[in-house]
Amino acid sequence: MIELKNITKIYEINKSDKVIALDDINLRIKEGELVVLKGASGSGKSTILSLIAALSKPTSGEVIVDTKKISKLPDNFASVYRRDNIGFIFQKYNLIPTLSVKENIILPLVPLNPDASDIQNKLDIVTNRFNISHKENAIVRNLSGGEQQRVAIARANINDPKIIIADEPTANLDEKLSLHFIEILRELKVLNKTIVVATHDPLFFGLDFVDREIEVHNGKIVV
Amino acid sequence: MILTPEVLAILILDVIFAFFGVIAFILSIKIFFGWNLESVSQGQYKLEKQSFLTATIIKYIFVIKVPLFLFFIFTLDKISHVLTGAMCAAGVVDATPYGTYLFILKIINLYLFAYWLVLHNEDIKHENQPYTKLKFGIFIIAFFFFIAELVVEWVMFASINVDKMVSCCGTLYSSSADSAISSIFSIDTPILLSLFYGNFFFIVVFYFLKRKYLFAISNLLFIVISIISLIVFFGTYIYELPTHHCPFCFLQSDYYYVGYLIYTLLFIGTFYGIVTGFVKESEKNITKNYKISMMFNFFYVILLSLYPIVFYIKNGVWL
Repeated sequence: MIELKNITKIYEINKSDKVIALDDINLRIKEGELVVLKGASGSGKSTILSLIAALSKPTSGEVIVDTKKISKLPDNFASVYRRDNIGFIFQKYNLIPTLSVKENIILPLVPLNPDASDIQNKLDIVTNRFNISHKENAIVRNLSGGEQQRVAIARANINDPKIIIADEPTANLDEKLSLHFIEILRELKVLNKTIVVATHDPLFFGLDFVDREIEVHNGKIVV
Repeated sequence: MILTPEVLAILILDVIFAFFGVIAFILSIKIFFGWNLESVSQGQYKLEKQSFLTATIIKYIFVIKVPLFLFFIFTLDKISHVLTGAMCAAGVVDATPYGTYLFILKIINLYLFAYWLVLHNEDIKHENQPYTKLKFGIFIIAFFFFIAELVVEWVMFASINVDKMVSCCGTLYSSSADSAISSIFSIDTPILLSLFYGNFFFIVVFYFLKRKYLFAISNLLFIVISIISLIVFFGTYIYELPTHHCPFCFLQSDYYYVGYLIYTLLFIGTFYGIVTGFVKESEKNITKNYKISMMFNFFYVILLSLYPIVFYIKNGVWL
């Protein structure tokens, strides 16, 4: 379970210029739940995602994932937590354009130093699941937007994480590809992953397999 | 004041160290008095970020200070050529009233910083950072020694008068009554060697018995006894001269810079020995520290012992 308790996040640009991204919010997400965070740009959705993924720390309050206080983790432990528990799908995919599909996907495995057969097994599972196996050796910069996103999804799943986080995943996709992504989400939901998606794309609203839609407005959760 | 390029480099680094040291000191005080890992307040999160910055500053000061210590000795050796009467670093150390204090401060700081670093490495291995408060508390104390070292270093280099004749190491490290350390020469050689090998014997015994506190204390004692033994007895065999006791000359090229090896072995061996008693670590780390200490101390004793043995084999007499 993911729990955000009394979270405030202030971005301090300088002494006099502060942005209150989250203002004393509380949120609970159950294991296996698919939650869509909706709201306008700058409402605080991405900040919630970065806190759950231990990419940043709150200004005050705490983030607890399965009894672990992840907001209190030192950086080196936060990295291990991310590696073992989180699959992050970024808006702009954050792939390394000069590497191949295979190299991008197996990147999260590198710190674990697994043997070659283990890497290949995991790679085969995710590339087949996300229908990108035929492009395994292609250089990422030569792929289309939809293909790049499937690579990003495969990379996010290579470690078989419990939590999948997607930040504006369809912002760079046309409607057809966006619908395809939603189908992938449905598959991940069947695998009992906890999924948190931040989006303002109306395609995500009112979907039958989404457990909750939470609106974020000006750093607060709208009840 | 003497301002060779080497001295200038040391003095500039001192200013940089002082600047970052002061920042680390101020932050250490804030962390030491405000740290509460259970808290989820804004202040605590800020301290957690600052502790990372502070630890990084202290770590890099130490990382630079270790080679800088060797560079300092090298510099003293080099400027001994321009001081009338000085034959090696010993003459430069004795050229002002501050040289000896500076040396003592440098050695204390080297051990203090190394201890801090071990504590820090142990601290960051745990999610709950059990040594954070302690390590910054130690730095608050170490900071005063550190600043004292920088000040004395400036004062020492500023006080060196190149026109003034200084004593050479042959005079300074002799048994004559007016020598600075003449008292150590009153110890009989058999007693001194018994202390030296006896101390090492206890280190070995405590190593096998895994008595970490006794092992640490034996190592602490070994620093003092080793340096005295080196000056009074073993040094004469390195120089193959019964009257030459200088602890600096064997750092020179004439002796193949063997002094750097001798002091490095002694520092690492005794340091890891001391750490076993003063840092609570995992069994695996304690065993590793025991082994490192034992290995370096062993090589130190073997290296020093070889000099008189080889001399005897070559000449058939003891000095």
